[in-house]
Amino acid sequence: MRALRKIAAGVLELLREIGDERAYARHLAAHGTRHSAEEWRKFSDERFRAKYQRAKCC
Amino acid sequence: MPFLRRVVWAAIACGAAVCLGAIALSRGEQISSIWLVAAAACTYLTGYRFYAKFIAARVMALDDSRATPAERLDNGHDFVPTNKWIAFGHHFAAIAGPGPLVGPVVAAQFGYLPGTLWIIIGAVLGGAVQDFVILFASMRRDGKSLGQMAREEVGKLGGFVSLVTVLMIMIVLLAVVALVVVNALAGSPWGTFTIAATMPIALFMGLYLRYWRPGKVLEVSTIGFALVLASVFGGQWIAGSSLAPVFTLSAMGVAIAIIIYGFFASALPVWLLLAPRDYLSTFVKLGVILMLAIGIFVVHPNLQMPAFTRFVDGTGPVMAGKIFPFCFITIACGAVSGFHALISSGTTPKMISSETDATQIGYGSMLLESFVAVMAMIAACSLEPGVYFAVNSPAGIVGKTAEAAVKTISGWGFPVTAQQMADMARHAGEVTLFGRTGGAPSLALGMAHIFARGGGGDAVLGFWYHFAIMFEALFILTIIDAGTRVGRFMLQDLLGHVWKPLGRTSWMPGVIGASLMVVIGWGYFLIQGVRDPLGGINSLWPLFGIANQLLAAVALSVATTILLKMRGPKYMWITCAPLLWLVIVTFAAAWQKIWSPVPRIGFLAQAAQLEASGATSAAVQAQIFNNRLDAVVCGVFMLLVAIILLDSARLWFGILRGTEDRRVAEAPFIPSRLNAEEA
Repeated sequence: MRALRKIAAGVLELLREIGDERAYARHLAAHGTRHSAEEWRKFSDERFRAKYQRAKCC
Repeated sequence: MPFLRRVVWAAIACGAAVCLGAIALSRGEQISSIWLVAAAACTYLTGYRFYAKFIAARVMALDDSRATPAERLDNGHDFVPTNKWIAFGHHFAAIAGPGPLVGPVVAAQFGYLPGTLWIIIGAVLGGAVQDFVILFASMRRDGKSLGQMAREEVGKLGGFVSLVTVLMIMIVLLAVVALVVVNALAGSPWGTFTIAATMPIALFMGLYLRYWRPGKVLEVSTIGFALVLASVFGGQWIAGSSLAPVFTLSAMGVAIAIIIYGFFASALPVWLLLAPRDYLSTFVKLGVILMLAIGIFVVHPNLQMPAFTRFVDGTGPVMAGKIFPFCFITIACGAVSGFHALISSGTTPKMISSETDATQIGYGSMLLESFVAVMAMIAACSLEPGVYFAVNSPAGIVGKTAEAAVKTISGWGFPVTAQQMADMARHAGEVTLFGRTGGAPSLALGMAHIFARGGGGDAVLGFWYHFAIMFEALFILTIIDAGTRVGRFMLQDLLGHVWKPLGRTSWMPGVIGASLMVVIGWGYFLIQGVRDPLGGINSLWPLFGIANQLLAAVALSVATTILLKMRGPKYMWITCAPLLWLVIVTFAAAWQKIWSPVPRIGFLAQAAQLEASGATSAAVQAQIFNNRLDAVVCGVFMLLVAIILLDSARLWFGILRGTEDRRVAEAPFIPSRLNAEEA
């Protein structure tokens, strides 16, 4: 049961990483700021600019 | 190694040999797909445990006491030390596209055996090695791109040629994947409605994330997925309603819609359409791949396709050309994919927290992608061969009517009846399944059969078929919008050298102009594919396969140069052997696509045949021009890669003779504090 819970936590963590939620949490921690709509927009604009300058694989 | 562990590994290695032997030697009777799964799993485990670990320890000398760029340059954005399983999942999600799903389905026309062996062996000895070595090289160079490494390790020429090659490959890639979607949606109101509905859903998600619930990506993706599922159900209702004609588009109609979509997606703000679609398609992609794996384990269908078909002789209706070299360029992603080198030298090296994690992330992810390709092969080969060929053969080959098509296909020794196809189309919720070339519909049909056998039978076949079509189209369209955008950046980068404002990504006329140029570029090839009486896939898929494998040749050249500089000639065979194979295969295929006297294979022969027919209509003249253009594109690919290969070979001989500098451009060693703390 503990192993299953660990796997589920790992999967959730992966989904958060793919969904940029973890990156956003790191961004808030690094800048010592709190979550706000403005902060998310600032973060996501920068994130997407870098992310979508790279090719997606076939 | 303890004795018991030796016994276990010996058993796994023997298991690989036995399963590969079983699928290779089985003739005349159907075999269970479990043999393919077991052969792949045992071979991957053996390759990972012994070959990858050997490369990691003896060749690369991965060192956990050395700080990775993620640790040294940690900025909380792109350079972030990440848990190896998270980085593995991230890398896999980035490399897994439609290629490993479509390629094996197209190659199934040769039978299940050639494609399966190439997928398994090619990945273990070629594709995974390429991804791993490039990831390692980039990690030791602060996450530099393939082009930057080519420029620094091989020379300026190599760097420039890499950039132009990648741009050209992007154009062909976008056209061919768009054609796959066109062939899946043409004449299908259910499928077209479902995919059309994903546009407003993505816009809603974009606005939700931007203004209503900022930062709640998983939450909005869950809502988006529920809405997409509702649209799959809604599509069934639409197909049976008076609205059906509105969503029943011709192939040209779907192509034009995709071209318009590509332009807007490239020019609109990323947060509004592209990013929410990307989140949704990545989650759906990972979920469906997992579902397919579970489905195959539970249902373990028999392979109806024989080990080899008569089409190994080059007369295949899906794609013309003999098993050698065409099987090996038809399956690129899933065995060896040059495009992966762009991912391995992009995001991933900036996430690795310990050097030894690179084995699992670089080599392991490619093995998992190879497994996806094996599953696609199983899905295609579990269909009756007659059905497979009826779905995948263009009308130009088998005839325009159902009666003509079943007569031709049954005459090949793959019995199928018009009634059987009509029943299957009815169960799948389609008007017809004849001539649905491109691989996506037959893959969706194979997946739907596997899922439906898990429960529900024919009653749920239509839902699963359109669910699978939605899944394929959703992430192909994400590749199209992201690819158009990336192509636009590359083009603006090049045009900026001509006139500075053109290079500015914030200058609207430059953005619109470059987006239009990229869209016109791939749109031209797409329209050409739609108009092609042989189905388009016959000319475009080999062009894409050749381009992708040639990019792999570029990556392996860079990798060989780095290994030669690091360790001398002792270990250069690790990347040189797959490089040699790819050069032989791709140059042979490219040569045949240009010069073969068989019109279905050679572009120039087809142009000559059309010219000799005396037809002067605009459509025929366009076909003649397009065939010659394809020949030129193929020739340019060969020329560009030949330049890189010759440049690399010159350097290798110089290093071996001692006349060239063999210093590598690695970042200096800095001890890791992260790993020291953990120790």
